Amino acid sequence: MIKLTGHIIIFLLTAVCSALSSCTPGACFEETNAYLKASFYSNVTKEKKTPESLTLFGLNKSDTIYKKKSGVQPALFPLDASAGSCTFIIIINNVTDTMHIVYSSYPHLISKECGYTFYHKLDTAYTAGKEFYIYKNSENITTANEENIRIFY
Amino acid sequence: MRRISGYFTSLLVIISAGNLFAQDTVLFPLKLRAGIDIAGPGIYLSDKNNLSLEGYLSFDKSEKMAFVLEAGYLNYKYSQYNYDYTTKGIFARLGVDFNLLKPEMSLGKYWAGIGLRYGVSLFNSETPFFQADNYWGSVTSSIPEKKAMGHFIEVSPGVKTEIFRNFSMGWTVRLKLLISGGGGRDLTPIYFPGYGNGGKKTAAGISYFITWNIPYKTKTVITKPEVVEEETEETSTQNTGSNF
Repeated sequence: MIKLTGHIIIFLLTAVCSALSSCTPGACFEETNAYLKASFYSNVTKEKKTPESLTLFGLNKSDTIYKKKSGVQPALFPLDASAGSCTFIIIINNVTDTMHIVYSSYPHLISKECGYTFYHKLDTAYTAGKEFYIYKNSENITTANEENIRIFY
Repeated sequence: MRRISGYFTSLLVIISAGNLFAQDTVLFPLKLRAGIDIAGPGIYLSDKNNLSLEGYLSFDKSEKMAFVLEAGYLNYKYSQYNYDYTTKGIFARLGVDFNLLKPEMSLGKYWAGIGLRYGVSLFNSETPFFQADNYWGSVTSSIPEKKAMGHFIEVSPGVKTEIFRNFSMGWTVRLKLLISGGGGRDLTPIYFPGYGNGGKKTAAGISYFITWNIPYKTKTVITKPEVVEEETEETSTQNTGSNF
């Protein structure tokens, strides 16, 4: 009888713990956005060079991503998963250009706690005004810390 | 004459009994077992989004080892602010149980040991809704139902006790290692039958079984092997000899 009671107690404790753990949503501590990562390089020396001032915003968007910000290296470009391309206005040290990024998007599970995001495959990136030169380094745009393009200015 | 032969027979019995006295044995019943997990339905009472049904069959190969086949069904739904997820499917685990109790303690009624399993899971999973937010706004999408197959291995320590004649109860902790969750690198299953959280390389679980035991054979197990004293004497003689 004691054996049976012991078993029932263990079972009830197990059931309560399992039920509590299965009902409690965990917190998300991971990066949930897959940004295009752009490093800045000098067009003269071809060495990595951080801009003194960077302003970046999406075309027809009022919110800025960076506003006259210094020390940005690399810059993180958010991409629109509902479209196949994005256009940004980029101002490096008071020189302005328009940057087009063409890509495809696909869903990716981050974790049970964080849910899904979109990863992207970079097709091309170019500037309309030819003020800056863009070199494509990696086409995989994920949450990993991997350089995708280099911007020479 | 009859009396003399009677004494002689008795003497033979005593002599042979003297030899047997050095060797202890127990009669160990080898069993077939069929069990059902009551932890899954127990959890379902408090969480209607998680229905897990599971049973097992086992066959004692010896007093120390049994072959085990476990199978089950899972219907799991999960929702949070940015996605909904459902998965439904079956699983099977194949492996062995090792009883760490000595036969004279176990007697076929008690089991405390460790199991090793290989698990395979066949399931359909679907994400009817998910939402991703960033600078450009909110994007809502879905992932259609997809068939997948998961593989894992498991170490499962536990205990079982006979509570009534031929019926036992016991629990097993399940420590699982994911081999493959199916779904590829991007769409690993959030949860799948037999394993649990497919996004993690390791998972843990618990089963609580009620088992029906069917004895099919009784095995005589030697618990204390016969000690041949003559060999010891010879050895001691040899040792003594070598001292000279």
